[in-house]
Amino acid sequence: MNSKTSRRDFLSTGLSAGFTLPVMAAGSRMGLWPRESADKTAGSPAKLDFRTLGRTGLKVTTLGFGCMITSDPSVIERAVDIGINYFDTARGYQHGNNERMVGAALGARRKQVILSTKSDAENKAGLLKDLETSLRELNTDYVDIWYLHERGGPSDIRDDMIEAQQLAKKQGKIRFPGVSTHGGQKELLPWLAQKGVFDVVLTAYNFSMDSAMDQAISVAAKSGMGVVAMKVMAGGFRDIKPDNPLYTKLKQDGAMLAALKWVINKSTISTTIPSMTDMDQLDENLQAMAHPFAPSDVKLLAAHLDKISPLYCRMCGECDGDCQKGLPVADVLRFLTYADGYRQFALGRERFLQLTAEQIAVRCGDCADCTVKCPHGVQVQSRMARAQELFA
Amino acid sequence: MKAAGLFLIILLTSGMAHAQDFLSCQFAPGWEKSGLKRQYAADNLFDYKDGGAEGYLIFGFVRMQGIDCKSGEDTLTIDVSEMNDADSAYGLFLANRDSSLPVTAIGMGGQVQPQSASFAKGKYYVEMTVIAARPDSDHTPTLKLFLTAIEQRLEGRVTIPEALQWFPKENLTATRMVPESVLGLRLLKRGYVATYKQGQAFVVLEDSPASAAVVMKKLREHFDGASSVQIGDEAFQAKAPYLGGICIFRQGRILAGYANLPDSQQAASQAAQLAARIP
Repeated sequence: MNSKTSRRDFLSTGLSAGFTLPVMAAGSRMGLWPRESADKTAGSPAKLDFRTLGRTGLKVTTLGFGCMITSDPSVIERAVDIGINYFDTARGYQHGNNERMVGAALGARRKQVILSTKSDAENKAGLLKDLETSLRELNTDYVDIWYLHERGGPSDIRDDMIEAQQLAKKQGKIRFPGVSTHGGQKELLPWLAQKGVFDVVLTAYNFSMDSAMDQAISVAAKSGMGVVAMKVMAGGFRDIKPDNPLYTKLKQDGAMLAALKWVINKSTISTTIPSMTDMDQLDENLQAMAHPFAPSDVKLLAAHLDKISPLYCRMCGECDGDCQKGLPVADVLRFLTYADGYRQFALGRERFLQLTAEQIAVRCGDCADCTVKCPHGVQVQSRMARAQELFA
Repeated sequence: MKAAGLFLIILLTSGMAHAQDFLSCQFAPGWEKSGLKRQYAADNLFDYKDGGAEGYLIFGFVRMQGIDCKSGEDTLTIDVSEMNDADSAYGLFLANRDSSLPVTAIGMGGQVQPQSASFAKGKYYVEMTVIAARPDSDHTPTLKLFLTAIEQRLEGRVTIPEALQWFPKENLTATRMVPESVLGLRLLKRGYVATYKQGQAFVVLEDSPASAAVVMKKLREHFDGASSVQIGDEAFQAKAPYLGGICIFRQGRILAGYANLPDSQQAASQAAQLAARIP
């Protein structure tokens, strides 16, 4: 896929992949099969889809469970009863309180599920110490996947960290080593694929990201790594706050579910870990396994992208007019896209600070009107002002 | 008019200065500021906290300010988060504290460990972490100095939410604020949960008795086989697949009860004791 593909093209491609590789067809290639499972509370069976988590060979439900903000163990218990079999937590979530809750919720059924946790420690000793604590809090003698947490690039992963994972695996305390990442995937994922010592990668991934992300994930999946997606919904909606009328509209329209289905529809993704705090969310998200990504979902997500398009520069180079104060408008908007769109705040700021001192000192809010217009409707003056507020 | 304008400017400036000076590296000897002050709002907290931002946003995060201080090779990170209200700040503290350690009487509550500290006061939640050159070093005295100085400079409530006082203390193991979906039920939006050696109690404050009554009606419909009991203004008990023996009552605008007990009668008995403690 061309990395310059527009966001709308990216959505359309996602759908066409769904048409040419229907869920069942893709599933049969990846070890996916349907299963009926009793849902005690709702009284109706939940349809579960499974995929193989890369070279681990583990069969995971395409809907997993992100436990980070879950408060009540009853939601996790019910998910286990329904048949969801991938549960994710981390040493750092709620300063360890989350692992304790997850361990208590899984109880004697821990070995029926695939359990992952993470450590953000920066050296071998710290990692191994964290693992011992995680095992104690989760009330288990092993975790299935143990991630190096929040790694933003190859320089964040050192040999002693890999040694810690290999030692833990040798000792039987973990089954498979992995890496989790929220940013820098375009460089990191190919590096992980080439490195060959990590079996799973957990990455932020959603419909609002550009096609280069799709390519990076494809490289990882083709190398045999299992790919787990997070921020599948919240990431795409992070600019829409609860007090925004659009927030309610999107939720009512089922756009959250559409966003989840968009990710599950990607054959490169083994499972997803949306956060769930209550039984209703669990029921809603189960629908993503029962119904494939459909044309109606495309419309919902496209509408959302249209809503956020005034914020995002497409880098088409078709800006109309020049800045009277000499600012390289397209460049600054690109820096802002690094931060706002792709969550590369450090990169955006670094590039911004490479402007001349005169350019950095300009405040677009001081201009009565902006002489630069965007043919696609980007609100140039306000976006430039945001870049200055964020980076200057 | 000019004098009045000047007075207003001085007033605003002094107010701003006061609001800023809780962030300083001078609260303990030997520490110097390193780098620029951090400022984040709800829409870019992700850039600082990555996925951990969700844990703040769910509790009603508004904005954060922070600085780094250096002493030799040690770095002290101080972050002050402003939340929607004092209950949210205390809720975030309860969620992040180490429940195996005691709570220190600072602000509404705090904790100090060898390399980290936190507390909540008013709508502020304060976190400090030492990134130490020696992993086993104890920075408790330094952290206490910073903790005390910052606490003195922040305004706001120092008493814990009243609802937490209502939970019976016997066999209580932990209390926490649940920012949404208490007991995993979306109907119970935000409240407090007390975990006991057996079972858990909860308290949810609705806006009015009328809105509480509406939620109560929906709750009763949610649980099959619910039967009425005499507690508060109205109450029911039931047996539920994931919540065990459960009893929920309404007292004015308050919804409360017990869950995860062996049977509904026991839940009702415990709920009656809780109701008696609610003013």
